[in-house]
Amino acid sequence: MPGLHVGVDIGGTFTDCVVITEKGAVVTTKSPSTPPHFADGMVSALELASKELGMAFSDFCEKIAVLTHGTTVGTNALIQRRGAKVGMITTKGHEDAIHIMRGSRGVTSRNLNQVVHFPESQKPVPIVPKKWIRGVSERVDCMGAVVVPINKDDVEQAITELLDQGVEAIAVCLLWSFKTPAHEQYIKERILKRAPHIFVSCSVDLAPKWGEYERMTATALNAYIGPVTSDYLKKLDRRLKSAGYKKPLQITQCGGGSISVERAIEAPLLTLDSGPVSGVTGSQFLGRILNMENVITTDMGGTSFDVGIIHAGQPSFSFMANVAQYEYFIPKVDIQAIGSGGGSLAVVDRLTKTLRVGPESAGANPGPACYGKGNETPTVTDADLVLGYIDPDNFLGGKIVLDKEKSVAAVQRVADQLGLGLYETAAGIAKIAEFKMADIIRKTTVEKGLDPRDFSLFAFGGAGPVHAGIFARELGAQKVLVPLNRVASTWCAFGAATASLLHIHERVEILSSPFDLKRVNAVLAELYAGASKQMGADGIPASGRQFQFSVDMRHRGQINEVEVPLSSDSVKGGMKLTDKDLAQLIERFYVRYEAIYGKGSSYRDSRLEMVTFRLRAMGASRTVTLPKAKRSSSVIKEKAKTGKRKVYWTDLGKQAVTQVYNGELLEFGNTVAGPAIVETSHTTIVVHPQQKLLVDAYGNFELKLGR
Amino acid sequence: MLKVSELKDVSFNGREMGYVPPEKLRISKKLKLHTKASKKLDPITYEVIRHSLWNVNEEHGATIQRLSGSPVAMYALDLNPSILTEDGEFVYFGPYMQYMSGVTDTQVKWILENRSENPGIKDGDMFLANDPWVGAAHQQDVMLICPVFHEGELFCWVTNCLHQYDIGGITPSSFCMSAKDAFEEGILIPPVKIIEGGEIRKDIEDLYLRSSRKPASVALDFRAQLAGNTTAKERVESLLRKYGGDTVKAVMRKILNDGEAAFLEKMSRLPDGVWRDRTYVECSRPGDRKTHQVQLTLRKAGNTLIFENDGTAEQEGAMNATFSGWRGSIMVALNQLLCWDQYFAIGGALRHVKFDPTPGTMNCANFPASVSTAPVQAMEISLYPAYNVLAKMIYADQEMRKDIMCIGGTSQWPATIFRGKDQWGENFGYILVDPIGGAIGAFSTGDGISTGGQSRTPICKLPNIEHTEQTFPVLFLYRKELLDSGGAGLNRGGMSAETCFIPHNTATITHDTLSSGNAVPTSTGMMGGYPATVNVYKFKKDTDILSRFGASALPSDISEVSGQEVTLELRQQNFQQDPSDVYAVVWTGGGGYGDPLARDPEKVAEDVNENRAVSLQAAGEIYGVVLKANGEVDVAATASLRSEILARRKGYSVQGTPGKTPTKLSGKVFKQITENLNLQYPESGKSNKTGLRWACSHCATDLGSAKENYKLGCTRHDAPIAAANPNIGDWKRYVDEEPTFRQFFCPGCGYLIENEIARKTDPLLEDIQIKI
Repeated sequence: MPGLHVGVDIGGTFTDCVVITEKGAVVTTKSPSTPPHFADGMVSALELASKELGMAFSDFCEKIAVLTHGTTVGTNALIQRRGAKVGMITTKGHEDAIHIMRGSRGVTSRNLNQVVHFPESQKPVPIVPKKWIRGVSERVDCMGAVVVPINKDDVEQAITELLDQGVEAIAVCLLWSFKTPAHEQYIKERILKRAPHIFVSCSVDLAPKWGEYERMTATALNAYIGPVTSDYLKKLDRRLKSAGYKKPLQITQCGGGSISVERAIEAPLLTLDSGPVSGVTGSQFLGRILNMENVITTDMGGTSFDVGIIHAGQPSFSFMANVAQYEYFIPKVDIQAIGSGGGSLAVVDRLTKTLRVGPESAGANPGPACYGKGNETPTVTDADLVLGYIDPDNFLGGKIVLDKEKSVAAVQRVADQLGLGLYETAAGIAKIAEFKMADIIRKTTVEKGLDPRDFSLFAFGGAGPVHAGIFARELGAQKVLVPLNRVASTWCAFGAATASLLHIHERVEILSSPFDLKRVNAVLAELYAGASKQMGADGIPASGRQFQFSVDMRHRGQINEVEVPLSSDSVKGGMKLTDKDLAQLIERFYVRYEAIYGKGSSYRDSRLEMVTFRLRAMGASRTVTLPKAKRSSSVIKEKAKTGKRKVYWTDLGKQAVTQVYNGELLEFGNTVAGPAIVETSHTTIVVHPQQKLLVDAYGNFELKLGR
Repeated sequence: MLKVSELKDVSFNGREMGYVPPEKLRISKKLKLHTKASKKLDPITYEVIRHSLWNVNEEHGATIQRLSGSPVAMYALDLNPSILTEDGEFVYFGPYMQYMSGVTDTQVKWILENRSENPGIKDGDMFLANDPWVGAAHQQDVMLICPVFHEGELFCWVTNCLHQYDIGGITPSSFCMSAKDAFEEGILIPPVKIIEGGEIRKDIEDLYLRSSRKPASVALDFRAQLAGNTTAKERVESLLRKYGGDTVKAVMRKILNDGEAAFLEKMSRLPDGVWRDRTYVECSRPGDRKTHQVQLTLRKAGNTLIFENDGTAEQEGAMNATFSGWRGSIMVALNQLLCWDQYFAIGGALRHVKFDPTPGTMNCANFPASVSTAPVQAMEISLYPAYNVLAKMIYADQEMRKDIMCIGGTSQWPATIFRGKDQWGENFGYILVDPIGGAIGAFSTGDGISTGGQSRTPICKLPNIEHTEQTFPVLFLYRKELLDSGGAGLNRGGMSAETCFIPHNTATITHDTLSSGNAVPTSTGMMGGYPATVNVYKFKKDTDILSRFGASALPSDISEVSGQEVTLELRQQNFQQDPSDVYAVVWTGGGGYGDPLARDPEKVAEDVNENRAVSLQAAGEIYGVVLKANGEVDVAATASLRSEILARRKGYSVQGTPGKTPTKLSGKVFKQITENLNLQYPESGKSNKTGLRWACSHCATDLGSAKENYKLGCTRHDAPIAAANPNIGDWKRYVDEEPTFRQFFCPGCGYLIENEIARKTDPLLEDIQIKI
């Protein structure tokens, strides 16, 4: 697609904009965010970009091929619990399902110590209180047969009562609706007929998956964030149109691509967690250019450490997500997070004199001890400061001046409790944090049957490159890449700019072997028809469409499924399997299963089952390339050497006067041998002894890990 | 009957009697143990390796979870991995089914004693085991136990346990509720070497699978267990390569020692004394109408805790558990109330915990008692009273009392064991797992958690109805949280639920019931809190349900459908449910904490209006709260109702000295012992501990000498058992002996000091004795 590719990411403080030109030049701008009128900040950032490109703003707007935006409006509404007043209509007798939460307390992703300490293990505040849930008489069974016809009086009464209560959105989720959606559709029609202003969220439109609790949660969450997200997007769309951008606005989604603004308004749930996912999308794009098929992405911020996996050029997925203890179905790029960021607290157990780092965090407020906002417990950032890894006057480009003395005092207190020296303790805090990060990355890869030694590791986020040299070495990863010098601080916007249109269509049809080829093909055809319709609505010409079919399979009687692609590459049209294809598919299942779970883990005497059929429908991927420096130089310019400071090196067991470089002045071909510190305006790369940092032709920093 | 400690010349070798490991294990000289631990261990290396070991166990569990073939085991997370030292002390156990790990150490110790000589324990071996007299909850819980070697020495063990779909016996699913003894139950396997030199021994595997009705499922599960151990073993080996055996061993020892130190520190904050709890099991075999007493005594003497079960009924019918099951159950509560801050490292604490049960009792049964139903009955009834005795012990410390939790839901499991032909034309047979939805009992700090699961499996999940309906030929009419099911109290227990279904796409389903706690509540409250609902089976034959389907008039409750009501017995065999027969099951909820009359009326109103947890009637009768028509609290009417109830309570006669006028103590409070009880000096200026007296913690009314049962100083009212919870029906349906709800009030202020559920003829329970 010719024209400019623009990505915009709106954060709490700054609105980031990345423009990739037809020639592959990358322009980044930052402008202050302007809550609650976020569109203003967005337009400012765009104007800055047009200036930088030397274009009139109206020309610029006209030249944009696609503008992709990542929004956190839904996420914020959830976190601040400022979502809509949601009513719910479900099958009579099952009104409590969303409260029962499958007899669990939403423990996924929670700290296990809290989970087993029941006084701390409460359920979350319900999204839909009991008084706003109505059951209607109707029933479909596991075969999809209508066992009880829908009771229309019940439906009218439920709608009347909910409207009387003043609900702003209604979620509709009936048992087995993904098999037979007619009853849900009827209820939706009736609501819209009677109250067109109401946001209606139907489970079959959003998450037609097997399992009512997670489907119900998805539907309710979607309704909860629906009105606020659609308000925001509609306003934004109008504002951009009046500024001169007439094409459809694209919104990044948690599946790793983008969707049209219309789809985002219908299914705002897809925008949750799309920010971190954009980081993975950007990495996938960059990995492709650098011929790196296998990438572990790591993003270390103040409070959390996020890990994504790209294997064979494709991001790994999960089909269940969770937010605020609610688990819900959504196909999304899998991001694993642990509470281990710069703010992780280092605490000594009073009794056993052992040192723990995290998961408790000082957060951004009060933040690390060096922020001077009252926290006196050292954090990883404090340890970094004590060690000399980071410069108190040049943290986040000097936006915050750190008080090193406060860090020293905090770390010293811990050192005294442990009977260790100051530097030893600071190095210990860093090491524990790094090993924990290595553990989660290892877990994330190994659980998918992957070996971290086959991967390169991308480090972004302010705190990531400080520690990546160690956790990557611990993992045995091939190398660390700190991506694109000038783009790294706007990485999510970059990810948005590189995102392609993506719709993920799913259909549950539980089939047992020997498989009925006709039924398999019927499901595939149905998926294809749905996807084609959506692509048509998005204005994607047939030539620009790509499809990837897959199916989740398992041994019959097991609950865990393995996603098996139906073909190795994406295809241009629909798919029809032959007997031979089917045999190959089954073989592929065994191979994939044993790759994940180990040789000999499958059991060929057992029957197989297909559960969820899936189609990823994509717009043609971008053909843009990035500009490459032509001339390399091994000579580091003097002005890149910004000074020296004392840094404690664990590998040397002592402090050493260490050269500090301004990373932004390093050039293609420059090599920095560790020990050294390389600083940019947004991060610091710590180059340990035996390690080497190289600048490649694109301006990426590549860290070669010593062993 | 004599306790283990009193029995002489009896061998506790895991054959006739449950295996009780000796102080010093008898291990063959052929086996070299790795015992050396590095003396120098810096805190950084410690924390890095500790975290890795924790992850090894987590990855072990995750591997099994992903691979296991049995969905029912998976939803209930009926598995648990562990790491133990070379000599069988726990380093870590996992967050899954808690009592599965509680039985692992005895297995490992038995293997060390009985297999180190012949056939030998070597690198690359694994042992399969499920013998409850060696260490297993019941036969279905099959363990795979793997030694890890380092440089030719046995370094440690990684083990796992996973519930199997069916391993034989007279009932499909192997829950043999009518078995006369273990010979009618699933195959018994004392530890056998099933993996040798890294290879599956096919002959042993065939032997193992042969008794099962579902050999393919069991075979898949076995591979899951194998993969779990292999993963964990390889991970430990890589740690050993990296850090060396002595360092890793030093970390293991420190985890144990730290756990021990933390436990001892807690012990030092608590008074010595004796705490008791008494509860009852109903129906040991089809036709049985007896109530079988279960008693738990906890003694604290300095650093040592001793658990005893004397006073418990003799082994009988098919309701029993073995020593390891009883011990494993108690370890669950011990871990959650006393060691939760030690990340599942209970090994250190166990060094100071003694178990001294009486063999031949129902929860320390001798071979060949029937034990296949233990986890849903005998082990639950062994576990939950442990929460009560431990909670009352830790109350004395202001920090530790925040960890108190009342007995939770499904304290006896109302099992629905069913079989027949499924909608896909195949045979099925299993147990409905809905009751794992449980409920969490009230806390000292707040309300319990409605349908919050079972505390013994902290991370389990109920299957979705759509999952159950896909797997079995049933159609659920409803699954709902049940009004008044949580025990009333200052802090209310969590609500449990009721689930209701009919057969669907099948001609009929054949059922067995298996339950207890249907007449006598087993989720008792604490410190004045009321019990939760009992278990309830509701069964209606030949109803109008199918015509209701046609008319699109689904019921919200089984009471709305017309049909012939049938009272199911608690171990009723082989009854048929046809498509128009409606079957509903209620499981017990969470017990309440503290006097319900002390609950904030606004919270009661919220429970009535918002949470649908309390009925209007219970609000009035139990909480003394009157609501207006619009749902708001009627403040004046509430105050007058409450004072009326308090006056009535004060008016009952005092137990020990009828007619005595209450007097108040003026001395200093020595210690608060429960929510409602202080130990107090009689007069100010006096500090002679032998003169200490029990006093109401709310008004300082004298409740008698600290050397006596405080209940003697209270006014007492014996209410019918149905007064304890609105969901308790007619006890006469199930048992012959009448249960009563005994309440003990402060004669000075009317505060509810404690409740006691007992058979009419049972003596007063002295639940607390503080050693002064």
